[in-house]
Amino acid sequence: MSQLEGAIAATRFGIGAKPGEIAVASSDPRGWLKAQIRPDAAIVSGAGLKSIGESIRDQQDAYRGVSGPAGKPDKPGKPDGPDKDDLARMEIRKQAQKDAREGLVVEVQARGRHAATTADPFAERWARFWANHFTVAARNAQLIAVVGPFEREAIRPHVFGDFAGLLGHATFHPGMLMYLDANRSIGPSTEAARRRDAGLNENLAREILELHTLGVGSGYTQADIIEFAKALTGWTVGGPQIQRLAVAAAKGDGRKQRAAKDMIAELRDQAGETLFVPPLHEPGARTVLGKSYGAQPRTQAAAILDDLARHPATARHIAAKLARHFVADQPPASAIATLETAFTRSHGDLSVLARAVVDLDEAWVETPAKFKTPEELLVSVARASGAEAAFGRDQRTVYQTLGQQPFGAPSPAGWADDTATWSGADAIKKRLEWANAVSRRMTRVGTPVDFLDRALGPAASQRTRLAVSRAESAEQGYTLALMSPEFQRR
Amino acid sequence: MSSLHTLSRRSLMLAGCAVSVAAVASSARAATAQSQGRKLVVVMLRGAMDGLAALPKLDDANIRDYRASLIDPNARALSDGFALHSAMPTLASFYGAGQAAFMPALAGPYRERSHFEAQDLLECGGVRTVSADGWLNRALQKAPGAYSAVSIGPAQPLIMRGASQAISSWSPAVLPEASDDTLNRLMELYENDAVLKPALLAALGADRVAGGMDQASMGGARSGPAQYVPLLTAAGKFLAQPDGPEIAFVSLEGWDTHAGQNAALNQRFQALDSGLRALKETMGEAWSKTALVAVSEFGRTARVNGAQGTDHGTAGLGILAGGAIKGGRIFGDWPTLKPAALFENRDLAPTLETRSVFKGLLRDHLGWSAADLDSSVFPDSAAAKAMSGAV
Repeated sequence: MSQLEGAIAATRFGIGAKPGEIAVASSDPRGWLKAQIRPDAAIVSGAGLKSIGESIRDQQDAYRGVSGPAGKPDKPGKPDGPDKDDLARMEIRKQAQKDAREGLVVEVQARGRHAATTADPFAERWARFWANHFTVAARNAQLIAVVGPFEREAIRPHVFGDFAGLLGHATFHPGMLMYLDANRSIGPSTEAARRRDAGLNENLAREILELHTLGVGSGYTQADIIEFAKALTGWTVGGPQIQRLAVAAAKGDGRKQRAAKDMIAELRDQAGETLFVPPLHEPGARTVLGKSYGAQPRTQAAAILDDLARHPATARHIAAKLARHFVADQPPASAIATLETAFTRSHGDLSVLARAVVDLDEAWVETPAKFKTPEELLVSVARASGAEAAFGRDQRTVYQTLGQQPFGAPSPAGWADDTATWSGADAIKKRLEWANAVSRRMTRVGTPVDFLDRALGPAASQRTRLAVSRAESAEQGYTLALMSPEFQRR
Repeated sequence: MSSLHTLSRRSLMLAGCAVSVAAVASSARAATAQSQGRKLVVVMLRGAMDGLAALPKLDDANIRDYRASLIDPNARALSDGFALHSAMPTLASFYGAGQAAFMPALAGPYRERSHFEAQDLLECGGVRTVSADGWLNRALQKAPGAYSAVSIGPAQPLIMRGASQAISSWSPAVLPEASDDTLNRLMELYENDAVLKPALLAALGADRVAGGMDQASMGGARSGPAQYVPLLTAAGKFLAQPDGPEIAFVSLEGWDTHAGQNAALNQRFQALDSGLRALKETMGEAWSKTALVAVSEFGRTARVNGAQGTDHGTAGLGILAGGAIKGGRIFGDWPTLKPAALFENRDLAPTLETRSVFKGLLRDHLGWSAADLDSSVFPDSAAAKAMSGAV
């Protein structure tokens, strides 16, 4: 097989070539990619990484003694200024926020290190695709503690299982329940809703239909969203907030008080874990997309999710998104059709789908059509330079500068996957400024021409090779290599 | 383009302007003549601002039943029963001075509730299907003079995408700049690149205008309310240049308030209000000829949800501000919050269309022809008549 196909395998399907990777991939590019389709291939582990429960419990412990929600500023001070207790509370809160940010730094570093070094780069691209599909972003202080565990627990171990399984793991993980407000959604006719003046929140139901499964414009209605949201009530995250709701619910029914006491103890013990709390669930059968789901509180939402995972619109939506990611911003209909068929015939088996992606002839064209996102750009530099030179001391600052903070997608739709979003004048200027700064660190890892060979191999054009070899300094050569049309794409 | 090899940064930038018509400098005289110094600022409040919280209609018979806990008790009474949230004193004073107006029941033609689809449609100017180009870009193609526009922020928004290259974008710099020699070589490398070449040329043109504003001087975080003031200040700086663009587009993110919205909105309203004050100050004299329009992709539910927030709705609040606005009044009828008047018994019903507002401003403020607006800027939009009387 040609070296060029090896380069395509490493850069377009993988996340950028490590030294020697193009040669390894070249002997059998498709086989090399398919060998990475293993259940454990995208697992990220490391010291200091907490489970979701630990992470949330640590955060709750850190805030103990501070009333009011995390991250919110104190009420305006009394006329004579804050008293001693106020100051102590502010101190606790400041420390808790600092702990949470440090936890996020550990997550970002572990993720970056994994990407820079993994021998399964196609699995990594595949996992990041799904993490973006099921976006959970650090929108506020509480979510900072959940975004890392969410990706490691709900996404990465399940990306080569079946889609229904991945959808279930993502939906019922505390991270998603919190990000899309399902943890605070309560059946509107329940005693808990009446007593706490609280009720239904449709956010999670809407985004599952619109973003995770069927796709926008596929025919579901507002009524479907509300019915689905009702089915999802009861699924929440253990902790003091839910305890208070459950206490309220128990007050309404004397006979259930003993059972409620047991449940409340359980809620306390399971802070930070996903729980089903029956008194918060909207009772009754539900109808979604014309199908009726019986009044089985614990299994109702899962049954709807299973049907959504199998729905033809979901197959089309996922196929189009994958084709856009691996082929082009406007992929040919043939590529979408191939993937849709693979999804449908395998009943959403994601390892079958991953193989179908590798076998997509449309994705092997010579000219790279996809413009790298900032994250793809940085990861590919880190891999080719054999070091984390790309990131400097603080990865998050670099990502922020280039407009793509890890775990910081601007909305539940995730990061955009198209050239236009990332190639505005200002974005290119920022990339140039970054390349210019990073080229100084790169000079320690060899010549710019070596870098081109390692990173792009035969995919580097003559024009680029010439420009890099004629640069007036190694720094300038690196800047040109990093900013070259080929390295900016995949 | 090989002659670029010997050009200095300054002449490279001028070449960039000429080639891309990023045009901040070279076409300035013609533009000024046509527009007579008038400026338009389009602000997108992404995430769907709760208009009923910003500008509650206090004499509506139903508003307290639906959302008593979301009404600011200190809201300042304006006129027609409307009151403005107390976190926006500048905007209230604009209104008092006849330099601001409100459109309390504004929506695009879209009636679903997806943020992303609604924003895309608002930006591309379509009714159902999202096109690859935006209405501001199409407008520039039919401009009555050599107009140009600037987009403030790191990503290129859909509203600006398309065939016209009379567009630049800008956000604060944080790293040292590459040398002129590196730029020259890069331009050679991009000779045949349809994406990177125009982007780099436009960036070089924009940088010169922004001159000296780096991120440190503009303070901190890159997204959310902390950015409202720096982004609007930057827009003002661009527009106030004697040879500056006629139009600026600014995205202000973070309005999706599903939970605990009082505190979140208080912070955002304050930031928006400070941003408007900063824009006026930065623009100086030019403010008197400026029209600003701020819109969201849709409004939010009339009723409070279970988490002291609101969910995706339909009609929302549009804001007009600037010295050119004939303000101190309300545009569009109030549909009322009676259950039967609500859209799908949950949202404020629209009485005014966003395309009508944009068309009215382009026609009356900057001189576009009605025919171009009806057919190519907003295709097949003759039914959405341009709104009169805003300027």
